[in-house]
Amino acid sequence: MTVPHTVAAAATPEHQAEVAARVKAVESIMIEKGLMSTEAVDRIAEIYENEVGPQLGAKVVAKAWTDPEFKARLLENATAACAELGIGGLQGEEMVAVEDTDAVHHVIVCTLCSCYPWPVLGLPPNWYKQPAYRARIVREPRKVLREEFGYDVPDTTEVRVWDSSSELRYWVLPQRPAGTEGWSAEQLEALVTRDSMVGVGAPKSA
Amino acid sequence: MSAPTPPIREATELGEARRRVQDLVYGLPGGDGEASFREPWELRAFALAVAAYHAGQYEWSEFQLSLIESIRRWEADGAEEDAQPWSYYEHWLTALETVLAGSGLLSEATLDDRTKAVLATPRNADHHEAHREPVAIDPALA
Repeated sequence: MTVPHTVAAAATPEHQAEVAARVKAVESIMIEKGLMSTEAVDRIAEIYENEVGPQLGAKVVAKAWTDPEFKARLLENATAACAELGIGGLQGEEMVAVEDTDAVHHVIVCTLCSCYPWPVLGLPPNWYKQPAYRARIVREPRKVLREEFGYDVPDTTEVRVWDSSSELRYWVLPQRPAGTEGWSAEQLEALVTRDSMVGVGAPKSA
Repeated sequence: MSAPTPPIREATELGEARRRVQDLVYGLPGGDGEASFREPWELRAFALAVAAYHAGQYEWSEFQLSLIESIRRWEADGAEEDAQPWSYYEHWLTALETVLAGSGLLSEATLDDRTKAVLATPRNADHHEAHREPVAIDPALA
């Protein structure tokens, strides 16, 4: 059995939205009928969740670290800058990249549901969708980062929490790790983690 | 708080789960790893079929045949690039619908209605406005 190798002529966004809705419909009917549980589906999806995306975000971050003009464009308009690299989403929501500095650390959340910049970061991890994270990261971000993620933000750094919605989705441009002077974008990509772009962790160190 | 403590699971445990799923997928068209996920719904559709199989809803061979049949039909229809671009996971979804319908677990009419309902519902009715300021700020302590 051979599979046709034709790459899809990009299906229209409307078509993608319809298929996505159909998948949701199938899932909701299957859950209602007790054919399996949402948790079981989540568990399977979790195995692959890292493959739908954060490597794209890592490319964008590494390029921003090595190309100051690109970085300026990214901070000005993340949606357009990502589109330069062929990265974009089917719904075309607006994306905003917020830059970490010594003075300010950013972290993203969706307080109401699980809006997430998936064209760049892939699928949200399960904890991102849970009420506990969504509520608590807003109330006591510094503490949650330390206690739940083992990520210590220095006391001298302000923490800002950004609420993504379906209209506007945030993600974090982390700080370039020390000791990576002269590294190529490809080398740097490997240091960029999903958690660092959500703001709940640091990039890997050099 | 159900702890988002990384690592969420030991890497080895995920690795083993993954191998089990891959053994399952290996015999399928596209199971050689070419069919990677491009959209979240593709992964969701993938996970649905695997989870329903694990829950004993059908034999994997039924799903496999159904997938092969969907792809065969697409090829027989001329596989015109403009008419119906190739989408592996749309075949996957068709296969899933077919096996569920075959066991009387899903009817096309119900599914069409439900799909319309999903499309008509904003993903979150209250969450469509852009929030342009941080929702919380924890100032520097020192």
